[in-house]
Amino acid sequence: MQKPRFAALALSCALAATSASASAQGTVVMPRVVTQVTPKQPRHVTPRDADVVLAVALDVTGAVIEVSVIQSGGADFDVAAMDAVRQWTFTPALRDGQPFAAKIRVPVHFVAAPPPPPDGSVPSPPGAPASPSASAAPTTAPPPVTPGAQGVAAAPVAPTPAVPRPSATPAAPALDTPPAGTPPGKSPGETPAAAAKPPPAPIDVSAAGRRPPPTRGASDFHVDIGALGLVPVQNAAKMLQLAPSIFLSNDGGEGHAERVYLRGFDAREGQDIEFTVGGVPVNESGNLHGAGFANLHFVIPELVLSLRVVEGPFDPRQGNYAVAGSADYELGLAKRGVTLKYTYGTFNTHRALALWGPASESVHTFGGAQLQTSDGYGQNRGSKSGAAMGQYEGRLGETGSYRLLATAFASDYKSAGLLRAADLAAGQKGFYDTYDFGQGGSSSRFSVAADIESRLGDTTVYQQVFVVQTGMRLRENFTGFLLDTQTAIQEPHGQRGDLLDLSVNSTTFGARGHATLRGEILEQKQELEVGYYARGDRAFAERSRVGAATDAPYKTDARYDSTLGDIGLYADANLRFTRWLSVRGGVRADLLTYDVLDQCAVQDVSRPSESHPPGDASCLDQQRFGVHREPYQRTTTTGLRAMPRGSIILGPFRGVTFSLSAGTGVRSVDPKFVTQDASAQFASVDAYEGGVAFTHDFGPLKLVARSILFGTHVDRDLIFSETEGRNVIGGGTTRVGWIGQARADGEFFDTNAAITLTRSAYDDTGLLVPYVPDVVLRWDGALHHELPFELAGRKPRGTAAFGLSYIGKRALPYGQRSDTIFTFDAGVTVGYRNFDLGVSASNLFDTAYRQSEYNFASVWKSQGAPTLVPARNFAAGAPREVMFTLSANFGGEPQ
Amino acid sequence: MKRLALFFALVSAAVAGCVGTTGGELTSFDAYAAGPADARPGEPYTFETSRGYTVVLSRATLHVGAVYLNRSRPSSVSADTSCQLAGIYVAEVTSGLDVDVLSPALQPFPEPGFATTEHARTAEVWLFGNGDINEVNDDTAILDIAGTATKDGQTIPFEGRVTISDNRVVPPPSPAAPGAHPICKQRIVTPIPVDLDVEAGKDLILRVDPRGFFRNVDFGALAQIADDPPLYRFEDDSSDQPSTTLYSGLRASVGTYTLTWEATQ
Repeated sequence: MQKPRFAALALSCALAATSASASAQGTVVMPRVVTQVTPKQPRHVTPRDADVVLAVALDVTGAVIEVSVIQSGGADFDVAAMDAVRQWTFTPALRDGQPFAAKIRVPVHFVAAPPPPPDGSVPSPPGAPASPSASAAPTTAPPPVTPGAQGVAAAPVAPTPAVPRPSATPAAPALDTPPAGTPPGKSPGETPAAAAKPPPAPIDVSAAGRRPPPTRGASDFHVDIGALGLVPVQNAAKMLQLAPSIFLSNDGGEGHAERVYLRGFDAREGQDIEFTVGGVPVNESGNLHGAGFANLHFVIPELVLSLRVVEGPFDPRQGNYAVAGSADYELGLAKRGVTLKYTYGTFNTHRALALWGPASESVHTFGGAQLQTSDGYGQNRGSKSGAAMGQYEGRLGETGSYRLLATAFASDYKSAGLLRAADLAAGQKGFYDTYDFGQGGSSSRFSVAADIESRLGDTTVYQQVFVVQTGMRLRENFTGFLLDTQTAIQEPHGQRGDLLDLSVNSTTFGARGHATLRGEILEQKQELEVGYYARGDRAFAERSRVGAATDAPYKTDARYDSTLGDIGLYADANLRFTRWLSVRGGVRADLLTYDVLDQCAVQDVSRPSESHPPGDASCLDQQRFGVHREPYQRTTTTGLRAMPRGSIILGPFRGVTFSLSAGTGVRSVDPKFVTQDASAQFASVDAYEGGVAFTHDFGPLKLVARSILFGTHVDRDLIFSETEGRNVIGGGTTRVGWIGQARADGEFFDTNAAITLTRSAYDDTGLLVPYVPDVVLRWDGALHHELPFELAGRKPRGTAAFGLSYIGKRALPYGQRSDTIFTFDAGVTVGYRNFDLGVSASNLFDTAYRQSEYNFASVWKSQGAPTLVPARNFAAGAPREVMFTLSANFGGEPQ
Repeated sequence: MKRLALFFALVSAAVAGCVGTTGGELTSFDAYAAGPADARPGEPYTFETSRGYTVVLSRATLHVGAVYLNRSRPSSVSADTSCQLAGIYVAEVTSGLDVDVLSPALQPFPEPGFATTEHARTAEVWLFGNGDINEVNDDTAILDIAGTATKDGQTIPFEGRVTISDNRVVPPPSPAAPGAHPICKQRIVTPIPVDLDVEAGKDLILRVDPRGFFRNVDFGALAQIADDPPLYRFEDDSSDQPSTTLYSGLRASVGTYTLTWEATQ
């Protein structure tokens, strides 16, 4: 083995890879040769020069799993090259620090040896030191010199990394990577001095993995979970907090979707953020709780590789609900092998988790299942849930891949709802109490999806199909005994209770696809992508009111059978005018269709029939003067909107990139608000921002920092109504703010911090929009290292992680301000060989905080007369919870 | 960690102070009820009625269950069967009080009220015994009165006790509208027109004018229940003109109840 020579070249390749990685904003580190075997000149073949180019597939550990010939140098030389290269070992390819299976190009250059010297000594390979002790191929002895023989060991060239496609979204566009085959420090055209001939022209073989869409500017956050996965989180939704500006609360219990606040928007449970998991939509159209409802609890947190959060409607790929932005979860399992994990903790919480990912497969091939149960904190908060996810990624030829994804989820939970602050102050209720033990719900989700990506010449095509079946039941009571109004046709009654029992069942099916054409103009790489999105939803939703005394429904509020469609198309260009000036953007148009059958269209009638009195029936079959009509009403309508979006990227200049972005987004209305013969109305959002990002690698330390100013205008906002206890369409609003974010990722630590300041106000009065936080701070950090002692010859490993949240006093109606929220979560683990033992605490300081606060009228019969004036109601945040976790991993990387 | 939390709190407070308000304010207030301002403490209240009676009221106690202010003015109350008005309530006093209607002194409600600083256009006085206002049977004495009425030299001593219970149920107009007259509508005096700016630092005063109870009462039609001494009684139902008229006066949204928002300290 020619260690000195190849070591130099290997180091050069490593530097090239690192340089390319830094230039590509630290995204990809190509494999490096660790050990190699020198290919032998084929026997029984006249020695000659030959070039063989091999495609070598590596698994996530860097082991060679497949070798094939790209360019033949002759069958015998092909075999000789393949036999040798199969014995080589590499470091794995890394994308943002995570290993992935890759395919690289290895040129092998056979050089016909010069005739033996007349003195009979062994000739050195070309370029090798003259000293016999430094002869080539240290793992194999030089062939004996026989009269007339001219062949000697071939002089292999160190593997040249294939041209990587940027595989993550950097803060600035990836710089041009040197054409494959160009050694580091060399300009194209120069040749390695060690080779007698220049290596063959590279064949552009892409590394396995898919190229993400180009960045849209400073607010395009590609969050690689990495070591920050050590920070304790209760569910996958909490991972959103790794992106700036996001605050989560949950009024509805463990199984209920989180309420998301982003950049001054109250996105409720998803109405203003487009959520996708592996590209499969999560937002539910036709959900009576709110169009766009998105429950992320089906995602197993350990199977999340990264998040892409785009804060603002700046990408033509973003569709319906992307008003405040979008979030896409990329699934994968970095820790290969089989992992078993069991957690037990406070409030009788149990969690069992099994994960598997064959070491020889891509990180995108995995399976996982979890079961979870808890009594919950305080009154009426118990829950049970189960989730399973499985994905397989396969290769299609040299440049294509396909994925098959299946998910399943089911949960059942109780909920405490909200408490009146006055009742807490009067000592009538405890902080973690509930008024109505009937609150809670269940949910389920089953989905399958398949996608293919393939490169055909200069065009990459992508196609995905998906089917999702969801079911939800939600019982919640925010107002107590307030809303059961007496109508003339009803028998006299008092307030029977406001417990709402909502059920939704929906099926979503759809497809998306795009074609990306790449070319070169002005000596710069250019891209044009056109794509489509098609989605159909069939949803059946019903809401009734349940009597407090009888637990039986006494009134049907609503019953809808909806068929909804969303067909969108977009064109997106990624134009580079110079190495430092890019313009990205295009236009998207969506057609939304509604076919809504209101099956309970008549709930009251004046002058009812005396011979056929309606009584207490909910869905009536008569109108004024008792004239018969059917109880249902169908409404069909459509809406069409075009949304231009674009970004200008300047840089990077020594790691600094500037960006300007603007875009339009829309939110479709709830089906219950559509009107026959009137075009379906949208809430339209205009967003703009300017930002600067800095990215640099200081050796093993990668540093990213951003500063962003943003503004958003909504023409018809949805605002929580204190009288109706839900969001209602309000007037126009404007949000302006600033984000500061920084992440430092080193060899043994990773920390990410972000602060967002926002002002949200009504356009007509200038008064603040209530409920949204104006200060959001989040700080996560993790340490991971071997411990400084040995056990039986091995060092244990240790990790420590924390997550800190600070939410400033939120504006509430009537000039009020909420309490602040300050929570600190932390965890430590100790690992030895295949086992890890950890303890984590959420809300370590046991702060009694109100995770959400509202002002609305509610009557819980805590006083003689009903309380009709809007007053403070709140949901208690979780107290300190301590969890112990034991995990074992087998079949992955050696520990 | 406490210092860190304090630092963030200071930053947040600084930011919050710069970024505005949602408008309005929440406030608690004291609430009072009283008789007419021209009444004399401890003395009977004398007045003339439209029917020519001189009434000397020696006892008048009104039970008020709750008082509310609403920022809306309802367009049609008669057609509304709901106990509560549409629109947003801006002030409430939910503790009950027995008001000596003959005293001009401010009598405090036992618990403070709660309000949002907005403009109120409608007031409500709820006359019930602080149970469930929808419960038909309620034996609470809403009005307890005694006195004399004199006309043409004839003096009629009277007393009366008014409840709003099953004795006040209004039959439905038709079998198709059984809920047209819920009992709560009998107990809620509304809409009392007001024009009040609810402000922090001030209090709510409800003044009850007993003259409104007797505005059109024909005392001569009262039933005599005793001879020696003579005593006449208002029936606790709508069986005669005086009792019906008294009950109407008790529930009149104009002329009996006035509300002001003023500083009392």
